[in-house]
Amino acid sequence: MAIDHVHDLQFVYKKILDSMSRPGKIASLQTLAGRNDYNLQMLDATLLTIMTLLDREVTFHVLMDNGQNLPEKISEYTLATHTTIDKADFVIVLKGTPETAITNAMAQCKKGSLIDPHASATWIIESAFSDVHEGELMLTGPGIKDQTKLQTALTPAVWQARNVCVAEYPLGIDLMLTDEGLQVVCIPRTTKVDMMEVE
Amino acid sequence: MKTKSHFAFFDEGSKKEIRRSILKAIAIPGYQVPFASREMPIARGWGTGGLQITLSIIGKNDVLKVIDQGADESVNAVSIKKLVQSTTGVELVERTQEASIIQSRHRIPEVPLTPEQILVLQVPEPEPLRRVEKSAYKTKILHSENDYSGAWLMLFEQIMKYGRTATGADHPVYVNNRYVMAPSPIPRYDNPKMHQSEALILLGAGREKKIYAIPPYTDVESLAFDDYPFAVETFTGKSCHLCGAEDVFLDELVDPATNETIYQCNDTSYCIERLNKKEEVEVETSHA
Repeated sequence: MAIDHVHDLQFVYKKILDSMSRPGKIASLQTLAGRNDYNLQMLDATLLTIMTLLDREVTFHVLMDNGQNLPEKISEYTLATHTTIDKADFVIVLKGTPETAITNAMAQCKKGSLIDPHASATWIIESAFSDVHEGELMLTGPGIKDQTKLQTALTPAVWQARNVCVAEYPLGIDLMLTDEGLQVVCIPRTTKVDMMEVE
Repeated sequence: MKTKSHFAFFDEGSKKEIRRSILKAIAIPGYQVPFASREMPIARGWGTGGLQITLSIIGKNDVLKVIDQGADESVNAVSIKKLVQSTTGVELVERTQEASIIQSRHRIPEVPLTPEQILVLQVPEPEPLRRVEKSAYKTKILHSENDYSGAWLMLFEQIMKYGRTATGADHPVYVNNRYVMAPSPIPRYDNPKMHQSEALILLGAGREKKIYAIPPYTDVESLAFDDYPFAVETFTGKSCHLCGAEDVFLDELVDPATNETIYQCNDTSYCIERLNKKEEVEVETSHA
């Protein structure tokens, strides 16, 4: 069964909305498993997120093209325009992108201005994550009652680079992580991410 | 022939644009995100902002409640409800507890909201500094510089004139210690409900083309001075003439027969639920 662009994408949006308003809350898109009949080299959760948010009014940048002409294909499916990292509304990071590529791109991407803080980049990053184990990240801030713990496959250097991006609130970037298990978790710029000591 | 409308009235492109704006609004609590407000079948200024948010987030399984000044049955609420229902087929309810999306004009329901619910507020004037600065660009600069002396001055002038802050509704609030925001024309009584709310609160101003939000568990503080603390409307010694409720927001009415001032719950579904409960108890006790 193909993706229903009205009802399935509304379902995905509602999940993302919930996760964005409750940072660190993992949203499962498992009920849409098997709907993806696009031949794109990316995780199903990434594809669903892109289909939900991208259209011809926005631009995107695929951080490290995996040689499958992904930017062209995303453009064809969503009508969004591929552009350079410093202009992109959405930055897409595929699984296996090296840490330095991410941290360099975070330094260059749009963070909005004090007049228009919303003119910033939203990152869609493929990365494993869970809240089952003793989390390495401690999240606090709006949307979180007390605190939330999260474990991700992103390196401490990436989180440090992210924390630098959001240091001058309201400027900053908002993250959406997608994983192989059709899950999405969001970390907006308001969330304070503390790395805990790993023993 | 009546053509069938698209699900939730909007084309998917319009929904995407509004959905993106809502996500930005949540990421920057209290900041007014501009959006391309669509032409709606109701006039601008009659809840088109709230309606556009509701239509963009609603799904087949949602349960909708729409209120206008606390009432489920006033014209504005009914026409919005009918439009959403006829284009989505969602279930409509009046009981606050049963709704997943609550669109409201000028009130936050008496029953505490839950994390599963989303409150959508209709906003006529989203800019708390508009009365002190006409230019939209200049107010944007004031927001960027965290310069809210205009809002403070407005309250100060009220104190000088009336001896207290005299905002009837729409008393400005500080959100997440950064942005001063118009909470929409809710009474001061409802302002504290926004602080650390369990539910997500989305605010839409259709005519002014702005969307803003308060995520759950976010600090929302009403502007006040140390020597003139923020105070909500009080109804000490007054109670609803129908259900007898005391600790709720009451409307002041004049009894046409006796010319006496009477008070009544502003939240109609809350009042009716209390009346029904009373009725049940009466039936049980008198016919037992």
